[in-house]
Amino acid sequence: MPIIEVKHLTKEYDLGAVTSLKDTVRHTFARLTGKPTWQRERFKALNDIDFTVEEGEVVGIIGHNGAGKSTLLKHLANVTKPTHGEVIVRGSVAPLIEVGAGVNPELTGRENIFLNGAILGIPKKIIQQKLDEIIDFSELEQFIDTPVKRYSSGMTVKLGFSIATSMNADILIIDEVLAVGDLAFQRKCFNRMEHLITKQNKTVLLVSHNIRQVERMCSRVLLLNKGAVEVDDLPSKVCNIFYQQSNEIIQRQSKDSSLESARIQSSGEVENIDIQIYDQDGLEVSELVSGDPLHVKVTFTLNKAYDDLRIYVGTHRTDFIYLTVSGTSEYTDKLAYGEGENTVEYKLDSFPLASGTYCVRLAIFDSFERALFTGESLLIFTVKSNQEGALNDKWKTLNLPGGMVINGKEYRSKRHTEGQ
Amino acid sequence: MITVVRNLYQYRELIAALARKNIVVRYKQAYLGLLWAVLKPVMLMLIFTLVRSFIGIETDGTPYPILTFAALLPWIFFQESASEGVGSVTSNAALIRKIYFPREVFPITAMVTKLVELAISSLILAGMMIYYEMMPTLQALWVPVIILYTMTVALTISFFGAAINVYYRDMAQMLPVALSLLMYGSPVIYPLTLVHKKLVEEQIAGDWSNHLYTLYTLNPLAGIIDSFQRVLLKGIAPDINALLPGALLTLFILPFAYLFFKRAENWFADII
Repeated sequence: MPIIEVKHLTKEYDLGAVTSLKDTVRHTFARLTGKPTWQRERFKALNDIDFTVEEGEVVGIIGHNGAGKSTLLKHLANVTKPTHGEVIVRGSVAPLIEVGAGVNPELTGRENIFLNGAILGIPKKIIQQKLDEIIDFSELEQFIDTPVKRYSSGMTVKLGFSIATSMNADILIIDEVLAVGDLAFQRKCFNRMEHLITKQNKTVLLVSHNIRQVERMCSRVLLLNKGAVEVDDLPSKVCNIFYQQSNEIIQRQSKDSSLESARIQSSGEVENIDIQIYDQDGLEVSELVSGDPLHVKVTFTLNKAYDDLRIYVGTHRTDFIYLTVSGTSEYTDKLAYGEGENTVEYKLDSFPLASGTYCVRLAIFDSFERALFTGESLLIFTVKSNQEGALNDKWKTLNLPGGMVINGKEYRSKRHTEGQ
Repeated sequence: MITVVRNLYQYRELIAALARKNIVVRYKQAYLGLLWAVLKPVMLMLIFTLVRSFIGIETDGTPYPILTFAALLPWIFFQESASEGVGSVTSNAALIRKIYFPREVFPITAMVTKLVELAISSLILAGMMIYYEMMPTLQALWVPVIILYTMTVALTISFFGAAINVYYRDMAQMLPVALSLLMYGSPVIYPLTLVHKKLVEEQIAGDWSNHLYTLYTLNPLAGIIDSFQRVLLKGIAPDINALLPGALLTLFILPFAYLFFKRAENWFADII
């Protein structure tokens, strides 16, 4: 028998403010006298969701903002009731929804441990037994008798996490809580979560925007979109679909705003900047195959002639990690540019990055290192995988040629052996 | 009703922890701490005693200061329990949105919190009884029953009020006004014996007198305060006639209040 059953779950919210007392009275009066009533616009946060979770499963729930992830968790934690449909949960639930909901700033750390334990339904005896362990895990021995209002935000969250994970429940519900504290503590939280999941064989529902984490920890992933379950499958499949969607959104957004997007500074002396990429045959493209040459052409108009300019063209990832860059000063000494249109082409013999979405950046300085123009995400292009059925691209960032020697026989990656 | 009691037992640790939190938070940075809890009844007693020296209120032999103090204890306990109970759901919005447990825990916790303050004020009453050389008799065993009854009344109001307050904050604004009016309709400044004497014995309102007296005792606080004074100060049993109308009214309304609260509870997290 599944431990969680969700049947045709629909949740609607009224849009707009809560009705005033006057409106409610008028509404009720209209209903009583049989006159037509008026309805506020309603919003479906969850739309006919159906799924079951078996005991011991670790289910990730991912989706873009507003997809209904947290609303779904609220129903599973019994905090709110469905508009239609049914949610059946067979077992005790520990909601780690936003750690620290019950932490009171006036109380000391120790007092909060007991209070939160009671709120989460942990018997006092068990807390007493685990008190040292909790304090130890939170790394707050020194501050445990200080009111929480004097804690730093990181300390508060550490305390909350330590309490929440010390309880014994059949079902753990985790919403974005792993992203707490500094890196070292995150690591610790992560290990503790994995321990809870793998060693104690608990049923876990995990909501996170950290897709890699979801992919790693879960045995099954639901992708929510606009309140409905879009995909319900193995983690790798669902996460890939999600990545694709995210990239499409990023690309669409950057197209809408094109050159006016953020991270562009211009002194106005350079105008009409146009950037294009070409394939090997000189055709303009927006997509290339991993390992193919990259050919970026920048066209711009100068208001006046300069006897020297330094022009840098490079690429970066959508999360602004810089990948490559080249500057004209690397290749030539002083070089004059005339008034009017100029072109600079940036050629990489190979762009060996794994499939994904990448961007072009550009910077133009004069001889006094004054920026005439700097901009990022000026052009977005996608890179396709170069091998059919190769290792999934989520496992790598670079896609360099090479080979393996197995029992003395050398195997080279097909693509590069063909070319050579 | 049985579920309430069962929940009460099942969640006793939570209620205790939340009540402890309430008290600690309220008095933590106050130097005088819990002493503030007794200030209100003591001040009111002094004011009433002063006022009484101008206008004269018959007290049939009991010294007025202790009579009014014994009235103020259950009254203030009731008043603060009710207003704390009504605000208890909205003031715990963060918890309501995140974690489920039966929501009646909040109004009940408010009652328990006030019980601690009542206990401290009782020490003052005990001191006054020693001063006036009043020995408590066996009748004092009624006190826990009376307090439990007071809590039931406050809980009835809290269930209704707290649920409405989630939707309309008007409730929390209106309640203090209503409660301070109710104080004049309860035998706090004057004893119930005075009302009884005027209406039942002297029949000052003519044919309506007996009905008016019943109407007056429909207020559960009339019976509560009178019984509290009788069992502690006078050492006589509670007056069932004064208790009955209010008790019946409370027992009639309580199930509705509870069901109303439980029905509204489902939408607390969405509306609050």
